[in-house]
Amino acid sequence: MLEFFQQVINGLTLGSIYALIAIGYTMVYGIIGMINFAHGEIYMISAYIGLITVTALTVQFGVENVPLILLFTLAASILATSAYGWAIERIAYRPLRSSPRLIPLISAIGMSIFLQNYVQIGQGARDLSMQPLISGGWRFGSDAGFQIYLSYMQVLIAVVTVIFMTALTLFIARSRLGRACRACSQDLTMTNLLGIDTNRVISLTFVLGAALAAVAGVLISLHIGKINPFIGFDAGIKAFTAAVLGGIGSIPGAMLGGIILGLSESFASAYLRTEYKDVVAFSLLVLVLLFRPTGLLGKPEIEKV
Amino acid sequence: MNSFNRHVLSAAVSAVLLGLGGLAHAENTIKIAVAGPITGPVAQYGDMQMMGAQMAVEQLNAKGGVNGKQLEAVLMDDVCEPKQAVAVANQIVNDKIKYVVGHLCSGSTQPASKLYEDEGILMITPAATNPDITHQGYKMVFRTIGTDDQQGPTAGNYIADQIKPKNVAVIHDKQQYGQGIAEEVKKTIEAKGFKVALFEGVSKGQTDFSALCTKMKSANVDFVYYGGYHPELGLILRQCREQGFDAGFMGPEGVGNKDISAIAGPASEGLLVTLPADFSADPANASLVKAFKDKNQDPSGPFVMPAYSAVQIIVDAIKGAKTEDPVKLADYIRKHSFDTPIGKVAFKENGDLKEFQFVVFKWHADATKTPVK
Repeated sequence: MLEFFQQVINGLTLGSIYALIAIGYTMVYGIIGMINFAHGEIYMISAYIGLITVTALTVQFGVENVPLILLFTLAASILATSAYGWAIERIAYRPLRSSPRLIPLISAIGMSIFLQNYVQIGQGARDLSMQPLISGGWRFGSDAGFQIYLSYMQVLIAVVTVIFMTALTLFIARSRLGRACRACSQDLTMTNLLGIDTNRVISLTFVLGAALAAVAGVLISLHIGKINPFIGFDAGIKAFTAAVLGGIGSIPGAMLGGIILGLSESFASAYLRTEYKDVVAFSLLVLVLLFRPTGLLGKPEIEKV
Repeated sequence: MNSFNRHVLSAAVSAVLLGLGGLAHAENTIKIAVAGPITGPVAQYGDMQMMGAQMAVEQLNAKGGVNGKQLEAVLMDDVCEPKQAVAVANQIVNDKIKYVVGHLCSGSTQPASKLYEDEGILMITPAATNPDITHQGYKMVFRTIGTDDQQGPTAGNYIADQIKPKNVAVIHDKQQYGQGIAEEVKKTIEAKGFKVALFEGVSKGQTDFSALCTKMKSANVDFVYYGGYHPELGLILRQCREQGFDAGFMGPEGVGNKDISAIAGPASEGLLVTLPADFSADPANASLVKAFKDKNQDPSGPFVMPAYSAVQIIVDAIKGAKTEDPVKLADYIRKHSFDTPIGKVAFKENGDLKEFQFVVFKWHADATKTPVK
């Protein structure tokens, strides 16, 4: 029984990361109806920034205060990746705003390949690794020698995820810009006619998505401690799946989708075989889409005439 | 297309053709392609191979080369991807290079070897250990390293005779090399009456193994054999130790690399690894080891000396057989023995070494290793 709870902890940790990345996909889709395939690369870049900043702070400057390192790294990473998110939209998508839907999609794939190679040239194609900044945790319960282990890092991932999700939800629900975002997602042309600078709102969406991916990237470089320029692809595909599972365009949906995906992977490797974890995750996606084509929390698209 | 464009195009095409023709005539060097991962997650092994081969080329050139010609090592990057390896092999064919030292990963060596066989190019791999590579009936394929059906039993026997675990898990990465050796180990320990409680595959590039660790821990596994490379095992070690799973771990030469300690840190202490004997500790190689150390290179990696030997065998064969024809050389190599840094070697009909020893080492957190008695 304790083993089950341990697997829940494992799955929630994994799911939190997926959820943070999935929000970037879902927000962009919600507003301009395109899939930003370069989003996984944003996450990868932030993992690099995270690892480099932590290493620089601890090794170069000898900073030992862990919360300070964490705050500084998060801030640096969010700032830098927000700039990337903004620039990608400006360079690769805005000029194509009025072209057919397929064109920005191809542009996004191109951007994704470009960013992978860009990091590969700048940082080398080899794995970078780092020893844990935060180690240790709590052990409790004992069932025939099996103890549940909850690491400080796992708690940190959950707490940080909840904080940023809550902040985002409040921002979208309460602030002026958030209201503009919601308006844009309902009808972009109409919002524009009503005097809202939709280009600014779209830029903001990219920046917010990138900021959350930055949080995920920093957390993953602290948690896993091994990164390379290609981690964005896998994470991107999983997060995209999570977004579709939860209902693309819906922010709570992306959160739910990420958690479900993380838990299903964890349970599949625990109770079936490790080989089947992706099979189970994607079968689940197919099943959900068969019965709810718009995902778990997605709203059916109203035909705009 | 207007006529001006057409003229420019035809001029360009003929320039390219002339350029290639010019190259083909200017051959006064013997080119040896060294194919392996220069980039990607397992590039560290490529380093060992390139380092060994380049040292051989350098030293043999200093001794006057072959038949008055200088050797040239052409480095090719296959990233250890089967797809990329075929592209590299095609390039080698197009560049009319007749000798290949490589590839490194079994999964990329196998598809590339077919092209070399078809095109009559001599291939010696210093690193690919999957048995299938030399079981295809090919005439042009050799290796200067042992095979997994030698390495697997070495590991399996050690587990069964020395460790005597109650509950073994055998994990692999579903790749040709990793799964192949994992199956060999499983077969060996099962033949000795031990039960394998878990036999599962993880994915190449997977980063989260916490569910697997929990599963092994709750199944009371007390020894784990991992078939694959260090990036995955490093993370498995790190995540399992963190959960308080303290079983012993063992892996093949694909995990025996400094980077496993960089990834796993203290968790890499005590890991058992089967590796080729440490040729750099052989007194007969003292001057060669010094040459590496003078260049600040580490000759103790498992593929350095086999790569050096592969180049040397090609050169000795060219000298001995008095021909540069790869097909005749393959025949010559099969019939003769060679004095190399990995010892006096002779080949079986299928291209495998007649003898090769794997030794069990204990890995330490500071990335050093000591042989286990």
